[in-house]
Amino acid sequence: MPAVLVYAVVVLYPSIAGAGSAFTDWSGIGNAKTFVGIDNFKQLAHDSQALGALRNTLLLTVAIVVVQNGIGLLLALGVHTGIKSRMALRLVFFAPVVVSPVIVSFLWKFVYNPAPDAGLNAALGAVGLGALRQDWLGNPSLALWSVAFTVIWQCAGYSMVIFLAGLEGVPAELHESAMVDGAGTVARFRHITWPLLAPAVTINVMLSTVGGLTLFTQIIAMTNGGPGYATDTLSTVLYKQAFVFGKFGYSTAVALVLAIFVAAVSFLQIGYLRSRETAA
Amino acid sequence: MALDQSVSRRRLLQLIGGASVAATAVGTLAACGGGGSGSSSSGGTLKVIGVGDQEAGLRKVLDAYKSSHSGFDFNLSFAPADQVQTALRTQLGGGNAPDVHVVYPGNGSAMSMAQLAKAGLLADLSSQSWTQKIPDGFKGAFQSDGKTYIFSPGSSMLGAIYNKKAFATAGVEPPTTWSELLSVCEKLKAKGIVPIALGAQTPWITQLIPYALVPGTVYAKTPDFDDKMLAGQASFAESGWVDAMNKYLELQKKGFFNDNPNGTTYEQATSMVATGKAAMAVQVSAVLSAFRAASQTPDDLSMFPFPATDVAADNWIPAGVVVGIAVSAKSKKSDQAKSFLDYCGQQENLNTWAEAVSCVPLYGDAKVDPALTLFLPALKANKAVPFMDQRWPNAEVQPTHFAVVQELLGGKTTVDAALKKMDEAYRKKA
Repeated sequence: MPAVLVYAVVVLYPSIAGAGSAFTDWSGIGNAKTFVGIDNFKQLAHDSQALGALRNTLLLTVAIVVVQNGIGLLLALGVHTGIKSRMALRLVFFAPVVVSPVIVSFLWKFVYNPAPDAGLNAALGAVGLGALRQDWLGNPSLALWSVAFTVIWQCAGYSMVIFLAGLEGVPAELHESAMVDGAGTVARFRHITWPLLAPAVTINVMLSTVGGLTLFTQIIAMTNGGPGYATDTLSTVLYKQAFVFGKFGYSTAVALVLAIFVAAVSFLQIGYLRSRETAA
Repeated sequence: MALDQSVSRRRLLQLIGGASVAATAVGTLAACGGGGSGSSSSGGTLKVIGVGDQEAGLRKVLDAYKSSHSGFDFNLSFAPADQVQTALRTQLGGGNAPDVHVVYPGNGSAMSMAQLAKAGLLADLSSQSWTQKIPDGFKGAFQSDGKTYIFSPGSSMLGAIYNKKAFATAGVEPPTTWSELLSVCEKLKAKGIVPIALGAQTPWITQLIPYALVPGTVYAKTPDFDDKMLAGQASFAESGWVDAMNKYLELQKKGFFNDNPNGTTYEQATSMVATGKAAMAVQVSAVLSAFRAASQTPDDLSMFPFPATDVAADNWIPAGVVVGIAVSAKSKKSDQAKSFLDYCGQQENLNTWAEAVSCVPLYGDAKVDPALTLFLPALKANKAVPFMDQRWPNAEVQPTHFAVVQELLGGKTTVDAALKKMDEAYRKKA
């Protein structure tokens, strides 16, 4: 009972009280607020900036879920072999995960410096690929993918660790008997490893989906949603509405929609992935 | 020449005040509100948060105040302009604001004097004697409903900060018309020098070139443009803003900016001008000290008004009250904080601050930074316009302006669509 009380005071009350602001025109400071019903939600449905941000959020999420987990799986398979340096490699691949996302973002901002003699562009020039130099964060068509790459670079090690834990749980006898039966590497991965990795896939896909849908830190630190609105996500839009435009009520409406959206996606996803685990 | 480099403070007052009086509407003189005595000073540590641009001046004055007031100490921190909007605003919303904090003059941003005063977050300073000396033309920047809520050391000029050595290498002089500017840029480019450094990845930088151009393309022809906008009789999309934005893009198309301005930051652009890799950057004089600090030969840096048209007489200049400080209405040390602001308002301290941030002091007779000499004729001719956002009615127009400029530079929108978006933001409720 005390736990329920603490939960009610610390989580439930602030959440409900906060959600209430979504139906007001509160500026975030001062006490002046008027009840505006569902006006904020109506406005959101026609807000081209928010709709653009929704599109960016979905693109980022798909890219992150697919590529981060793909790379994470390959890394896990790589360091799950008998190679001598596997422990050192595990450490190297996991290292970016423990660095603050803000620091990683600032480091990558240096890497993405558009000058031809700096960062990634200099490296491309040095290996004779000068023609591929880009304005990585300044080109509106490229910036979103540059941010996605940074997130994947940082988080692939995290997916790797979860896949690795899954791989450790695959009984060696299964592989041995399959080998006796003449199964090759690909066949063993397809029929033994992959089905038994299902729980790890569920966790990784869930975590990276929620991470992608709520991505904020890296975007604010690297592009602030720009150039223009090219890298705005729902999280940066609700932040700007609250703190830059002074529209806390509207911002809370965006936050509420985002929370419901993330919950719905997660619910559907976990239903599907769990059924897949059982089938496996 | 030496005489030209200084100007009577009183004269400037008349000039700037006269120029901007048309653009500000203030009903009454400073009314005496409640608040503290402004003279008592007790011990303890005053928490102060400023914005990076004001560090040079604010720190000097705080140091001086500390050395003359025993038992006084301060905890001073600074945030970049983009973070002030969020970190500090969160503190204000949470009721744990610092005793003294940065506030932008006038209206138009979520951290502007008018918006914060309306929410009851700023202490009334009207009883302090310096507030009586605020020039009439500037009262709109300092006062809301006739009460003064902000201290600012004076006004900043907006124009081109240029590297004299780079200009000499190309054999060019500061231009006075748009055509001359294009020809100067052409010659600089031919010498392998980037004519104009533009760090448009940093949002607030994006607005500076339009701000430099619209006094000539808009306000010279329509001095009451802001009033017309407020009355719904004018729009960005059907005004001289179109010409200004087209000129912005013309500079880009002709290759007069550094490559990839959208990927370049303010700091990188500053360094380009300071080292002579670029010849100029459109900036406010308040950051001249930052450019000088980044240069090994700070004397090579000076400023000139950025010409917007081919009629020299139409080239008005932007001159706005610089970012200031205010006392939090909820400060437990408000007497002490007000006492410090009163100290800032004393002529000598005002001059110290103004000099450190290269701005024209708010009142009194003082020398101005020699780098601002070329701005004085326009000031004398009453051809100065306050920074545009100070009269925008809500906090959304300015960030929209930032975003559409980045889109324009990235080739993702047209001038017409960009200005219509700004009009849309302007028409939203405050």
